[in-house]
Amino acid sequence: MITVRELHKYYGAQHLFKGINLEVQKGEVVVLIGPSGSGKSTFLRCINGLEYFQKGEIIVDGIELHSINRLTPGKKDMEAIRNVRLKAGMVFQQFNLFPHMRVLENIIEAPVRVLGLEKNTAVENALSLLKRINLEMKVHSYPGELSGGEQQRVAIARALAMKPEAMLFDEPTSSLDPEMVGEVLSVIKGLVNEGLTTLIATHEMGFAREVADRVVIFDKGDVIETGPPDEIFANPKTERAKTFLSRILS
Amino acid sequence: MKRLLRILSLVTGLAILIYWATPSQFTESSIEKIKNRGYLLWGSDAEGGAPYVFPAPEEPSKLIGFEVDLAEAIARELGVKARQSQNAWDSLIPALERGDFDIAMNGLEITPQREKEILFSIPYYIYTEQLVVKKDEAVINDTTQLKGKKVGTLSGAVAQDILENLGGVDIKIYSGQAEPYEDLALGRLDAVLLDLPIAAYYGKPNPKLKYAGPPVGEGFYGIALRKEDGELKKEVDRILLKLLQTGELKQIYEKWDLWNETQEKLFLNLNKSISYTSIEESRKAPVYTFFPMLLKGAGLTIFISFVSMALAITLGLSLTIIRLYGKPPLSSLSTAYIELYRGTPLLIQLYILYYGLPNIGISLSPLVAAFLGLGMNYAAYEAEIYRAGIMSVPKGQMEAALSLGMTQNLALRRVILPQALRVATPGITNDFIALFKDSSLVSVIAMVELTKTYNILAASTLRFFELGLIVAFLYFVMSYPLSLLARRLEEKLKGSKK
Repeated sequence: MITVRELHKYYGAQHLFKGINLEVQKGEVVVLIGPSGSGKSTFLRCINGLEYFQKGEIIVDGIELHSINRLTPGKKDMEAIRNVRLKAGMVFQQFNLFPHMRVLENIIEAPVRVLGLEKNTAVENALSLLKRINLEMKVHSYPGELSGGEQQRVAIARALAMKPEAMLFDEPTSSLDPEMVGEVLSVIKGLVNEGLTTLIATHEMGFAREVADRVVIFDKGDVIETGPPDEIFANPKTERAKTFLSRILS
Repeated sequence: MKRLLRILSLVTGLAILIYWATPSQFTESSIEKIKNRGYLLWGSDAEGGAPYVFPAPEEPSKLIGFEVDLAEAIARELGVKARQSQNAWDSLIPALERGDFDIAMNGLEITPQREKEILFSIPYYIYTEQLVVKKDEAVINDTTQLKGKKVGTLSGAVAQDILENLGGVDIKIYSGQAEPYEDLALGRLDAVLLDLPIAAYYGKPNPKLKYAGPPVGEGFYGIALRKEDGELKKEVDRILLKLLQTGELKQIYEKWDLWNETQEKLFLNLNKSISYTSIEESRKAPVYTFFPMLLKGAGLTIFISFVSMALAITLGLSLTIIRLYGKPPLSSLSTAYIELYRGTPLLIQLYILYYGLPNIGISLSPLVAAFLGLGMNYAAYEAEIYRAGIMSVPKGQMEAALSLGMTQNLALRRVILPQALRVATPGITNDFIALFKDSSLVSVIAMVELTKTYNILAASTLRFFELGLIVAFLYFVMSYPLSLLARRLEEKLKGSKK
């Protein structure tokens, strides 16, 4: 479903990714963990075409992104990026709902304007999504009137309204108050259980252990360990993974 | 915002319609054109124009003056009506050449330099220069005693040449006719040398001033016509001769107290009878008589402001988007435009548009030049406001829109700009209020809007103070609702955001 090969990324002179490889199967749930600044967010953003990368390739459902330089992205590159985005929906740490649109408008904007869906159909879909995340009473609210948890759930619904093949969650609970983390995670859990291909960057270890088919540990731009959660958490092989996990789990 | 844009675009449409509806001016000869049109368009400057052409003290919406009478007589002989076209005196000749009116008649002295550019009719008046001094002046009796004295005159007038030839005179140049006499009465000048008609209207009636010595110099006023209008010139000459022979011309001069022996060189008959519209009368006219003219000026001010703002908003938005999202050569061009327009005076831009472009064969109507001048200038300021607005939208908004598969254009239109405009609204409104006031600058390109109306009225009545207060009040009354509207918009937008 998602293949990453020999991904290299530089920030100026800094060489962040030195050839990352990752293969995600259809229906698989992969959780990315690692200390802040380890590159897991950047990795997700590369897959969604929000970050340029200098070498390697990313293939999402058959669509290929080759190394894209920020200064000279060609028309073909831009088109490929847009198609990849249609395949893989993204949820951000900061929600990024459109503040000038109501909840319903936030959800139907892209289906209507990008996919060309009939407005009625889009509204129907949106309402059933809102029902699923238990927010149908907020349909006419503005994002500013919602709690952080509610906003993030709407953001998930907004991404799902595009009917993506896969979902990318970039630390979806990191800017939430602790009491709201649960409601967001349970929505994600619901999706995972339906078999949606999912990549999640998170600091929620309990959640990772619960939902992940596979855990990938990032550190300083390197993938230092990857494997099923039971193995990784119980028996990390590398020193770096051990250090990280002991700090996190203690 | 949407409604405002809709109104603006409607006004723009109307303006374009009016512009295109004005008849084009080729094919027919000038005389045919005038006859078909039904009126003779004559160019002159009513600002400080007494007694040549100026607003009637008792009815300021009506122009009077000896040249008004003369223009009406000429038009009558042509079988049409006369219509005055307001134009700054300095630029009457270029405006005539660009075809803004059929003839120019406004105390234009027949000089060899001018004859190189345009045709002159036979003279219709012999002017002399009259020295005016303070009533209690003891030293200066005539022009030979002006060495080291402060003497006022008009820019570009023949009197200026005479003073320069005298040598050693401290010449003070004025652009209005009333001001030098005011300054003389106040003691800021020692004397004023100007054409006799001007002295007769502004100097003689003033109890603090008197004539000094006999008129000096001598020259002819002629009606100016375009080089290619030889036929029209013949017709105008014929009419002037007729008016001269029937004595009608003389009657006009007598009516305005402009008759003197010098004119005998033009005329054979001589009768004395004097009636004079004194400047004192205009000082007494009730202030409401000025309202129709002022309101008309205000109307034009509003019209120009709205159309220019519509242009500024559209152009400014395009400039910003090109600057922020365009490819390198275009984006730097846009930046260059903004810097260039912000870094040069609007006044110069207007002059170049209106008086400069004809040099390279592009002639804009005053209205279009006003729209373009103000609109293109304010577009640069608008662009900066939009840019600040766009920068204030968090980066995540664009990323979220893109991650939903939107193109950059769609994201801009639906996500970024609506939020940016919200931030920019106060700035846009402030700009609009500023543009509103800056619209007074277009008076230099022959638009008689509110400020120009004020100049004309104040210069002919010398009621600078009360008219100034009224005009300031009018500007305030027009701009204050804009501030209120801006506040309401801001609150409304804030409400929807919470």
